[in-house]
Amino acid sequence: MFDLILQSLYSGLLSGGSYALIALGLALVFGTMKVINLAHGEMVLLAAYMAYVMESRFAVSPLLAMPLALVAACLVAVAVYFLVSRIGKNRELNSLILTFGIGIILTNAILITWSADIHSTSSTGLQEPVTFGPFSSMLSELTFFGVSMVVVAALWWWLSRSWYGRAVRAVSSNRDAAKLMGINPHRTEVVSFIVAGILASVAGVALYCTGVIQPALGSSLTTKAFIITVLAGIGSVPGVLVGSVLIGIAESLTVTLFSSALQELTGMVLFLLVLFVLPNGLFGSTRRRG
Amino acid sequence: MLKLDAITVQFGGLTALKGVSLAIGAEEVVGLVGPNGAGKTTLFNVISGLARPSGGEVFFNRDNVLKAPMYKRARMGIGRTFQIPQPMHELTVRQNLLVAQRFGTGKVNLEKIEEILTFLHLEGKADRDAAQDLSLSELKALEVGKALATDPQLLLLDEVLAGLETASKRAFMKTLTELHQKYRISILIIEHDIETISSLCRRVCVLNYGQLIADGTPQEVFSNPEVIKSYTGGGA
Amino acid sequence: MKLQRLIMVLILLYGVVPFVLNGNNYVMSILVASLTIAGIALAWALLGNLGGMVSFGHAAFFGVGSYISALMTMKLGVPVPLAMLLGGIGAAVASIAVLPALRLSGPYFALAILAYAHIFKILATEFASITGGSGGLLGIPALPTLFGYNLGSKLGAYLIITTIVLVFAFIYSRIRNSYYGFALRAMHDSEDATRVVGVHSTLLKALMLFLSAFMTGIIGAFNAHYINFLEPDYAFQSGWTMLPVVAAIFGGYRTLTGPLVGAVVVYSVDQLILKSIIPSGHQIVLGALLGVMILFSPDGLMPLLGKKLGRRRAETVRTPQTETIC
Repeated sequence: MFDLILQSLYSGLLSGGSYALIALGLALVFGTMKVINLAHGEMVLLAAYMAYVMESRFAVSPLLAMPLALVAACLVAVAVYFLVSRIGKNRELNSLILTFGIGIILTNAILITWSADIHSTSSTGLQEPVTFGPFSSMLSELTFFGVSMVVVAALWWWLSRSWYGRAVRAVSSNRDAAKLMGINPHRTEVVSFIVAGILASVAGVALYCTGVIQPALGSSLTTKAFIITVLAGIGSVPGVLVGSVLIGIAESLTVTLFSSALQELTGMVLFLLVLFVLPNGLFGSTRRRG
Repeated sequence: MLKLDAITVQFGGLTALKGVSLAIGAEEVVGLVGPNGAGKTTLFNVISGLARPSGGEVFFNRDNVLKAPMYKRARMGIGRTFQIPQPMHELTVRQNLLVAQRFGTGKVNLEKIEEILTFLHLEGKADRDAAQDLSLSELKALEVGKALATDPQLLLLDEVLAGLETASKRAFMKTLTELHQKYRISILIIEHDIETISSLCRRVCVLNYGQLIADGTPQEVFSNPEVIKSYTGGGA
Repeated sequence: MKLQRLIMVLILLYGVVPFVLNGNNYVMSILVASLTIAGIALAWALLGNLGGMVSFGHAAFFGVGSYISALMTMKLGVPVPLAMLLGGIGAAVASIAVLPALRLSGPYFALAILAYAHIFKILATEFASITGGSGGLLGIPALPTLFGYNLGSKLGAYLIITTIVLVFAFIYSRIRNSYYGFALRAMHDSEDATRVVGVHSTLLKALMLFLSAFMTGIIGAFNAHYINFLEPDYAFQSGWTMLPVVAAIFGGYRTLTGPLVGAVVVYSVDQLILKSIIPSGHQIVLGALLGVMILFSPDGLMPLLGKKLGRRRAETVRTPQTETIC
């Protein structure tokens, strides 16, 4: 039993890595534009399908799909930015509805192009189990966890050292002050969308290699990412990391100890718990009341 | 009628009000002055229920109203205007007053509404959109009107004269004087202009850095050296 | 609505439509389904307009209403009309769980409700002993016979749902033009401005939430007895949220008739035309429609048409309404 639990913790940790990438993308965009992109999960899913296309059509390892996935995700990201910035009034709520619509478009586009069948990587190499001690996982899970960590570290570096990264942080915390310092908020917004696209593409390919994909997955990914940002609290990258791993582990434990049907429920319940008990999330500092 | 007992308000590390005790009787017109940031609006927030003090008690007509939420205090008879007018959107001026009256008193009295409109010289704009078609002084008048419509015993006026040019200001001051005489309510008024306060109020309270440093007639208060120091910059 | 126009609409709905479409079962069923969506769209718009909260989870209330009503009739032998009422009440009670979310800002509320929809769906699947689990509930009692007329028939169902929707529209209109409606709309821009004059804003918002949930629950209950079958994936599916939202935005969510007309148009076009062009994934057009509406005409189609046709439909009450009820 104890072994089972250890295994769950491990699996949860690994899946937390990809969750983190998805959640960070969502959080970045929310930080700069104060807009929640409800089509974010679909962007990730699109990248995953790019990996599928690479493997099934061109018979190459899905890992080589990264460039294609990157392009696809970033194109979508820029398109969403473009549309959202066109909203006239009441941006906070109208952007929700708009991205909700975009999400529907993407989900159905995926449905039309690739049908409702579920897919996952057929590469045996990636599915190779890797074990050390009581911990066992697929090679792909371990690899992509590593990749996620590298990407997150790169993101952290970018946010704290690079010009655009710091501009993003400036605009997120105080837009007017940032403008006064000569930062162009619009350009920063585009940058945050593109970075979100990059993160999404990695997460998407990871998703394809470690799990199964199907068109309906888009909205549950967005929901999960949103839950993580709420859990983490606004404006906290380490918070998102912790939140992602927490969700990953909680889901994993639920599946092991209860039933796999309740997996999705875990995130939801945690979300509501945080919402009502810890409104600022685990690490957040800003008030979120209406 | 209103009694504040050692009110203390703290936000995080900042103390906005420290041990403020104050009492206002029926039909009194009291001025509340002090430099910017002294805590005047915070005090209004505490009295009207927008802010919870971290210490102290608020009594209205002998009842402890500390636990009462803002809407209840409005119904009890505490009316208040906001420094930046907040008209109710998508409604006409008349509808603004009607809503205030309906929820502040529980019933609708159309004559009283017309009376308030006339008194505040708003009858011409009564059917215009409150948020779009009013000038600044009309907006301020509407703020007062809404508070009046709730049939208050105590009226808190937060810098109603700020931003008005001299002619409007003078007209408004006249209205305020008539307000007290006609409606026989107590008024607590925040203003910056010493002359205005002196002519309107028989009693003035001075706040500085969250503390009440003077309470008396305008002559007494404005010749108080500590008060003068607070205005010219000397610190608490 | 002007009395003349109202009478014409009533004649159309209760006289002309049944007469013309009675034989055509297919069109009738589309109409009934679109009116079901219309009812939810109305409830959604009510919460948005009066409550000031956009919800992405109305499917939760729909599903709860469906299940409670179905179970009441099947397990406790409650007569269908009463069960439907209980379904509505059940949905309203379920919305109590959402109450704490009212103090959150827009997006958080919208998604909190979405979480509830998911939770209820999973709960309905898990508590199989009560709800029949994922296999579903079969043979739910149909709408009863009234005065010898079988309301379970297509035409009967049409009459019932039309009546329900009209009653809801009436209630909505009454509230909107009352002092409560004024206060609710004023609350969007500044809740404090209303509280300072004695409006119990939190209570009013909560009441709108209950009402919206109640209405949606009743519609869900109706649907359960109309199709006589329920399963969690169906009862809580996102379509019950998505279609009403598209309908309301398309038709104009600030108006009373907007969501209704929007629902009939959107749903009919989706089922009759789009489905045959793109059998799988036809809702892509709906997503696009939503996007286009938000960008170019956020107030919806009805106000746009109204303006184009030169008529000024007064959506926001500008005329002096001094003698309103309440």
